[in-house]
Amino acid sequence: MSIATFASRLYLAAVFFFVFLPIGASVVFSFNSDRFPTLPLASFTFEWYAKAFSDDKIWDAFRNSVAVSLTAAAMSTFIGFSTAYTDFRYGFRFKAAYLALALLPPTIPLVIMGLAMLAWLSQIGLSGTLFGIIAAHTVLGSPFAMAVCRLRLHQMDPSLEAAAWNLGASEWATMRHVVLPFSAPALISAFCLTAAVSFDEFAVAWFVSGLNRTVPVAILEILQGNVDPQINAIGTVVFITSMTLVVIAQTIFMRRNRNG
Amino acid sequence: MDNPLVSFTGVSKRFGQVWAVKSLDLSITRGEFVALMGPSGCGKTTTLRMLAGLEEPTEGTISIGGRVMNGVAAHERDTPMVWQSLALFPFLNVRENVEFGLKMRGVAKEERTSRAKEWLDRLGMSDFGDRGIEQLSGGQKQRVALARSLVTEPEMLLLDEPLSALDAHLVIRMQGVLSSLQRELGITFVYVTHSQSEAFSMADRVVIMGDGEIAQIGPPREIYRRPATRFVAEFVGRNNIFEGEARGNSLHSPLGTLPLPVTAFGPAVMAVAADRVSANRDRPGEGPSVKGRFLSEEFSGTSILCYFEGSDGSTIKAQVDEEALDLLAPSHGEVFWISWSTDAAHLVGS
Repeated sequence: MSIATFASRLYLAAVFFFVFLPIGASVVFSFNSDRFPTLPLASFTFEWYAKAFSDDKIWDAFRNSVAVSLTAAAMSTFIGFSTAYTDFRYGFRFKAAYLALALLPPTIPLVIMGLAMLAWLSQIGLSGTLFGIIAAHTVLGSPFAMAVCRLRLHQMDPSLEAAAWNLGASEWATMRHVVLPFSAPALISAFCLTAAVSFDEFAVAWFVSGLNRTVPVAILEILQGNVDPQINAIGTVVFITSMTLVVIAQTIFMRRNRNG
Repeated sequence: MDNPLVSFTGVSKRFGQVWAVKSLDLSITRGEFVALMGPSGCGKTTTLRMLAGLEEPTEGTISIGGRVMNGVAAHERDTPMVWQSLALFPFLNVRENVEFGLKMRGVAKEERTSRAKEWLDRLGMSDFGDRGIEQLSGGQKQRVALARSLVTEPEMLLLDEPLSALDAHLVIRMQGVLSSLQRELGITFVYVTHSQSEAFSMADRVVIMGDGEIAQIGPPREIYRRPATRFVAEFVGRNNIFEGEARGNSLHSPLGTLPLPVTAFGPAVMAVAADRVSANRDRPGEGPSVKGRFLSEEFSGTSILCYFEGSDGSTIKAQVDEEALDLLAPSHGEVFWISWSTDAAHLVGS
């Protein structure tokens, strides 16, 4: 191994170390019986998990988060796929503007997005409702879903749809029997990815959630009160949930792409 | 051709500012093997796609079996096609691919399975029904594509350069498979290709297209021996082209005065097939002759094509067999007499 290769691997290892150290620390302290995060560690305990999950407010927050992320993921995937398919299939004037608009949301700072959502949703009476958070997270998730679906559609032989029509399939039958099966790995990936985005998202949820807190908002409220190791326990659960979704998304997408 | 299966009447197709096909008239009879051939961009694929309903003609009408097909959607036609990319469905296995057309037509499960099996058997693919598409070789995919198109038992099969992705030895094998299938089934094949050997070896009639128009229609041999235009003579290859001024029964060309097979006046182009000329070292052979400087030779299987340069810089080709070449033993730059008999010459339109 040359020095350059060694140095670049060391650098990569250092990057991962610094990224995962705080999360790793949080996981470790979630099982530590000491109230304050200090070394050396005291004894192993499930106390903080037991405490966190005996709290009705935390259960409510989890239920809200699951409902919001599943619904927002389904809607994001639908909108993202539709946008990507429109781009794949049709040429029209202002297509560049259409694509720019579809990919715009991630470029807006979350605080601005949160404020704007709050203002708009309260105008139409949805502020503080779960549906408001779902709408906001759908806006955030759709561009990711579109990017994933677009990658997959670009791998599709353009003759594939024409071949289906040629064999007697109408446009709808072609969508159902050819385009959707071909895109299935991307649809699953997009669903997992946008569910993870929604499950983790704090800023916009904090602005629009009101009394219907999601997990990240509930964490902040506990944090504002005092230093409580419950947060480590909840944080670990959130981290594992999100990572699992992202890993599923990646493996499905990568494996299917290799197979063609 | 009183009862054609397909007829194109004054069909044109425009893409933006470009006319891909210009007022095309063509009739195809039942059971005929027709090849549409021409250089890329000549409109042959557009013509085929219009027949399949994948493109709508800008002008003119296309009818199939007497029914005008303008405005009939692709999925409502019975014109299955074998694609250049094959376009097999990668997420379905071999049997499901073959069953697709039947499924879309609402054929019941048991019948679909038995008909798909029948066609896979027929094309020697019976052991591959459960395989994924990616597990097949090029030739096997080709057979699956054929089975998928033929399983609905159409009156006509469209083929868009289906052999262009195959290795040379497989092309010859698949040509055999296609020819015998077409004869056994007795259905119409419309075959698009840029390959002269594919078109000439399989088709009953060849349609040569250039620049969106039909340049010549005829049996392979007629096109080869009697090219209608200079474009056809050059595209078909192995033709010597002599250009000049016709004055009665002779052509005044930069290479000298050459006798014409017919009487003509004005600017004219004469073609002589390379396999009808001979090269001699010391004196001209029988019939009209021109001088040419030997350039190179090219082996192509059984025959050899020798290239000469005429006094005006034009290229003259002579096809000889190996024995004749050994006797001739030409060296580069040596001058030969190139001769042919007058009846081998053919006056083409310019």
